[in-house]
Amino acid sequence: MPSLVGHGTSAFPAGNDLKEIIAGKSDKHGEIRSNGESTPQKRRSTSGSPISPPSPMKWKSPRRCINASPTTPPNEIEKDSGDKLARSRKTPVKKLADSFLAKSNWNPRDTKQMSAVKEVLHVSTAPSTVVCREDEQNRVLEFCKACVEQEKAGSLYACGCPGTGKSLSIEKVKQLLLDWATEAGLQPLDVLSITCTSLTNTSEIFSKILGKHQPRKKVNGSISPLQHLQKLYSQKQQSSGMKMMLIIADELDYLITKDRAVLHDLFMLTTVPFSRCILIGIANAIDLADRFLPKLQSLNCKPTVVTFRAYSKEQILRILQQRLMALPYTVFQPQALELCARKVAAASGDMRKALCVCRSAIEMLEVELKESTSILNLSSVEKGVFDRRTAPTLEFVTKQEIDIVRVDHMVVALSRTYRSPIVDTIQSLPQHQQIILCSAVKLFRMRKKETTVGELNKSYVDICKASLIPPVGILELSSMCRVLSDQGLLKLGQSREEKLKRVTLKVDEADITFALQGVRFFRNCLQ
Amino acid sequence: MGRENPAEEALILLRSRLCNPNYIFTPFSDSPDSNYSKLKFIISSSVTEACNNSILLLGPRGCGKIAVLELVLRDLLVEHPDMISVIRLNGLLHSDDNCALKEIARQLCVEHQLLFSKMVSSDDNSQFMIAMLQECGLAHKTIIFVLDEFDLFTQGKQRLLYSLLDAMQSVTSQAVVIGVSCRLDADQILEKRVRSRFSHRKLLFLPPSKEDLQRLLEHILSLPTDSSLPHDYAVEFNAKLHNILGDERFKEILNTLSSSDSTVNHLLRFLFRAVCHMNLESGFLSLENFKSALSSVQRQPKLECLQADCSILELYILVCMKRLEVKEENSYNFNSVMKEYKAIHDSFRTPDYYARNVCLRAFEHLLQRELICFTDNRGHNQSVEYRPVKLLISSQELYQGLKSSRSCPVS
Repeated sequence: MPSLVGHGTSAFPAGNDLKEIIAGKSDKHGEIRSNGESTPQKRRSTSGSPISPPSPMKWKSPRRCINASPTTPPNEIEKDSGDKLARSRKTPVKKLADSFLAKSNWNPRDTKQMSAVKEVLHVSTAPSTVVCREDEQNRVLEFCKACVEQEKAGSLYACGCPGTGKSLSIEKVKQLLLDWATEAGLQPLDVLSITCTSLTNTSEIFSKILGKHQPRKKVNGSISPLQHLQKLYSQKQQSSGMKMMLIIADELDYLITKDRAVLHDLFMLTTVPFSRCILIGIANAIDLADRFLPKLQSLNCKPTVVTFRAYSKEQILRILQQRLMALPYTVFQPQALELCARKVAAASGDMRKALCVCRSAIEMLEVELKESTSILNLSSVEKGVFDRRTAPTLEFVTKQEIDIVRVDHMVVALSRTYRSPIVDTIQSLPQHQQIILCSAVKLFRMRKKETTVGELNKSYVDICKASLIPPVGILELSSMCRVLSDQGLLKLGQSREEKLKRVTLKVDEADITFALQGVRFFRNCLQ
Repeated sequence: MGRENPAEEALILLRSRLCNPNYIFTPFSDSPDSNYSKLKFIISSSVTEACNNSILLLGPRGCGKIAVLELVLRDLLVEHPDMISVIRLNGLLHSDDNCALKEIARQLCVEHQLLFSKMVSSDDNSQFMIAMLQECGLAHKTIIFVLDEFDLFTQGKQRLLYSLLDAMQSVTSQAVVIGVSCRLDADQILEKRVRSRFSHRKLLFLPPSKEDLQRLLEHILSLPTDSSLPHDYAVEFNAKLHNILGDERFKEILNTLSSSDSTVNHLLRFLFRAVCHMNLESGFLSLENFKSALSSVQRQPKLECLQADCSILELYILVCMKRLEVKEENSYNFNSVMKEYKAIHDSFRTPDYYARNVCLRAFEHLLQRELICFTDNRGHNQSVEYRPVKLLISSQELYQGLKSSRSCPVS
């Protein structure tokens, strides 16, 4: 990261199109730090020439198109460029560097700053604007607006993988809709948001809807809430009329029962002639409407389907940057963020995972900090004893400031999240259990898909005899098989006789071979 | 008084140490890379920064997951006295959602001295839990949920897991969810919604390495020199212990022990037996203690039965059955065994030839002791003589039993 010495250096004129960028920065804490890291930009300075910051106009447009979301206030950009910083010339490749160029250093030792960073990256902090979902939000909003204006009922189904921002977007739409209704002077809406996992009985949802409509009226016990609602909706409204109700049902697939009655009835409520509810259902399955509500098709009132696709790499990157923009200092190296976005997008496109990995990387940084502080403390104690030779090394350690999350932190965090503990566990199993796994692999290689404990025993005894290890008895073997099946490495079937229990391998053969390749005995065994 | 007392005292001290998991796992907590410090770091940072977190502790049974967790919780309760409350659930008891919600509500009531009513519906229970989470969030108190046997909570629709992890997604609540499981793929069996809300932190508990094992043994078995025990006795004890631990034969014993089961629990049971065998007169541990402990750990009941209890005739019958099996007869019954017996008697001219009734009696003895059994459970109508039987012990065991039987004629 470019750093400051003193006031800053001049910017070169436009004709020069080298990748040189001179940034002068004032460090927040007034310290002078030298930078041992390699930076993406080279540094050149001439002595004595005055600073001439280029005009702010030149800087606005590129920044706006990269980092600004539709609702970023324009003064934010001015504030940054109004700083005492001399801006750089950008090359098209280094656009990402902009977002961190203008910011000052982050001091990870400051607990307030650290907790601020962690808060910004926490899953539960809802951002003020939901980036990358404007399209879907607009669709839902338009649908709701149309329903409210025409005072008609309608149903919508939002689907997508977990972590794609469905609940978040629908919340925003709800807010926007309420605001719009008050602005346009229409009757305000009633809103009912339920998460269907909290319903003990699936038909409770109807009593909840009824409760919202008529909060003070006691429910008549003779007819069910569903019938009550249907009756309510089939009568033409009086002059005062009921308010439109927006029902948001999250995790809709919990309502699916064997006869699919509840889900069906819920959607049918919107088709009743004088119905006043707008139903928005959220779930993961894309074809929920087709599979579970076929009759609606025939009635020509299938719900509108809005699909929330999994995030792509660019979208994840944008969302992360938008969150980090709120902080006045840089936390991540841009390559680290890119790596995270790429990996998560390739795996699942789940935003929660990306945030989790980023927080994990920050924790790696914290651990590294702790270790280096302890090393420094140790070395400062012994400093008096050492002679000059070792002094440069100590200086180097102090100079290598750890104030940004680097790619290696991110790599460790990613591997921790995506790695399965199977290989480690197999490597640390006791010897006989490893032999059991090997004998299972050998058996399965030959022909079958599953075998019995008795055959496993035979194979195990053969291997033991071949290598002069005394085998354990069948009782101990079966208890070891049980331990392995507890851990999820084998699967043991049920049988009255111990020897006839079926055994299948739950772990990939390649994993076992990989885990045990360090030991020559197993290598020969598994050849 | 006299020399008996320090030995007894030492024995009591060692036994109480071996039964106390807190003592066992404290040496592991010193190194910064250990699971203890990682767990402590995660939980304490969640508590101090008031953010939500979830973590999974994985490892084979008996590796000390719950012990380390309890250690961490105890230390944290000392450090932050009023900021933590712990709710413990077990997958074996509370895997049903309603049951689990009730238990959570009950424990919350106990913690905060509220009245708990058993008649409350599960809906109210879950609302109570969410309300408590919000209240505690406002009061900056963190609730730590410990879910033991985590994989058993994933049966069914995983409602409880979903509602717990979902509550942690909101800003108002402050909670940490710690799942403990012995299944390595515990997070793969979660539903994808629940998995997305889980923060994918896993701590793997592995059995200790050889160096760790040495350190652990020293830590457990060395007597403290500055306690109520006489000083020279303790020093001599420790010196002798050190010799034993460095002995090659002891290392072999350890190897044999850990080649079938290398968890800490197993080791502790072995040490307990060894310590109990300690000679109270001399007051010191010896290598023989460990050897006898090893043999009591690795018992072979059928072999013992063969060596100790079987009479000659019974051994004969077993040998006949073995020979029949070697001749590849798939099913044989008592009559064929008798024929074989007669054949042996004729060919080897042994002096012990018993009458049929006596043989039948011996046969029934073997059946009772489960050294042989019937191949199927049907023919209850037939008499014992005609039902097909088979051997339940392997040829190796038979051979060993024959070798070690004292009064067996050579053959």
